[in-house]
Amino acid sequence: MSERLIVIGGGGAGTAAATIAKRLDPSLHVSVFTEFEDIAYSPCGIPFVHGREIPKFEDLFLSTVDRYIADGLDMRMETVVTEIDLDRRIVTARNQHEGFDQLVICTGFTWEKPSVPGANLEGLHYVKNIRKAMEFDKLLDQVKRVAVVGASPLGVEMAGNLGHRGLEVDFIDEGPWVLSEVLDPDVAEPVHESLQERGVTLRLGTKVEGFVGDDHVRAVATSEGEVPCDIVIVCLEKQPNTALAREAGLDVGTTGGLIVDDHMRTKVPGVYAAGDVIEVPHGLTMLPIRGLTGSHAYAQGRTAAANIAGEDRVYDPVWIPWGLVGGDYTIGGFSIGETLATSIGVPYVLAKGVGVSRARYFPGATKTHVKLLADPQTHKLIGGQLHGGEGIKERCDFLAFAAKRGATLEDLAWMENIYSPPIGALFEPIAIAAQNALAELRQKDRSPEPATASSSGSDGAGAQRTPVTT
Amino acid sequence: MSRLDVVKRRLRAQAEHHLRVAAMEELRGRHPAGTKKAYQEPGALFWRGVFVPLYRRVPWTVKQRAMHALRMTAESSGWTPPARRPGEPWRPPAR
Repeated sequence: MSERLIVIGGGGAGTAAATIAKRLDPSLHVSVFTEFEDIAYSPCGIPFVHGREIPKFEDLFLSTVDRYIADGLDMRMETVVTEIDLDRRIVTARNQHEGFDQLVICTGFTWEKPSVPGANLEGLHYVKNIRKAMEFDKLLDQVKRVAVVGASPLGVEMAGNLGHRGLEVDFIDEGPWVLSEVLDPDVAEPVHESLQERGVTLRLGTKVEGFVGDDHVRAVATSEGEVPCDIVIVCLEKQPNTALAREAGLDVGTTGGLIVDDHMRTKVPGVYAAGDVIEVPHGLTMLPIRGLTGSHAYAQGRTAAANIAGEDRVYDPVWIPWGLVGGDYTIGGFSIGETLATSIGVPYVLAKGVGVSRARYFPGATKTHVKLLADPQTHKLIGGQLHGGEGIKERCDFLAFAAKRGATLEDLAWMENIYSPPIGALFEPIAIAAQNALAELRQKDRSPEPATASSSGSDGAGAQRTPVTT
Repeated sequence: MSRLDVVKRRLRAQAEHHLRVAAMEELRGRHPAGTKKAYQEPGALFWRGVFVPLYRRVPWTVKQRAMHALRMTAESSGWTPPARRPGEPWRPPAR
């Protein structure tokens, strides 16, 4: 008799775990339980349909339930698992018990709800489920003024897209700049400008104290006064859905996510967890973190699947390449920026440079701003942030990988790069940044003044050199 | 979740919040354009007046050792930091 694998959750981690386990071990009987009607769509694309950059929601679907069934999976749609009994190795759904040999918990996250008066009024929306987004999109045709609460990555995308749609948008956040928990203020500045060009009113350093209305919200009460609105979109923090696993006796860490090891195993043999419900260590500090991206969730699901199928697959601590479009501007980074480095007290030197995304004479060339953080003693990369137009995503992916492998400023200053006028300039912006930093550090070493390269936050680039472009 | 777990989680959240707000204020001093002072609840005198200045005086290497000793890092739950030596591909830890 074949082993039975049950996967709870149909998001990125759950679908990866189920499909890859089945592919690697076709003898497995794989059941996927999901509370939703749909599977295998891109929730990250929802803001862009609202903003009318993507024509229709149907474009976000990557596959169908029938396709998964055809691939041999037992799909339990709109089926909520209400209990896990780890001793008897059964889950309960719709009052039926289902036995498992191996289990993967991918219960994902829910958005944090504001704990202020009026949070239960009608008119407060959370972006996650595609069916609800389809209904919400019709409502957007009937309103003029939207308040977006929370300058998280989703908040930035929603504010920019609703501005693009022509709505009046008030963007409210307690932080001093958008995405202030990860982004540095110099990188946030062009995003602010781009959002404002799209008609978004930034209300930073502003606390939401409540929502005002009788049945339906009509204003947001803030520390700076009332902000009138027709609807509110709440984009606060992701909170892991751990209740089911906690009630079953699994452990939760200091971030609130489930504790797993580097094979995605919980403390119970044959029980795995992956995706937004777990915490994983940061590659630089080894401190557990959570709330990563869909690509992290998918890779964690793959790791669990490989180990279930008998491989010995390790998931590495993360260096977190990230990127998003804020207004018309692309920003990205990896690991940590100056704000986080200063916050946790990691010493760093800065490497700054500006280059272009293609040959400067080629139509469509955009400036690429690079800021790297390196260890003052070893010059190993520890983080960075970039902004500009094209090519930001690929550079952040590359830099995260380079940092994970211990690359230094010296490595990057002498890196090879593609020169092809339509797709790349002669001088790579990353190399320019590293060369600037090393030149500055050499100059400081020669000067009679004590070198400041080892002090926290010293700017290895000093005054910005004229960008060298071709 | 045990009461100790809840306390640990709250302590971490509070510590991170106040360190982050202090860092934002420092960064804002270097790049003031387009920024606004972060909203801060009144109170929290211990965190702002004692914890943040003390934490900042401790060198990073000492903090790292302390976090490791207090089992705050993920080594205690089965993770191994990959070697970061260029040219040496990382291998899974021997088991």
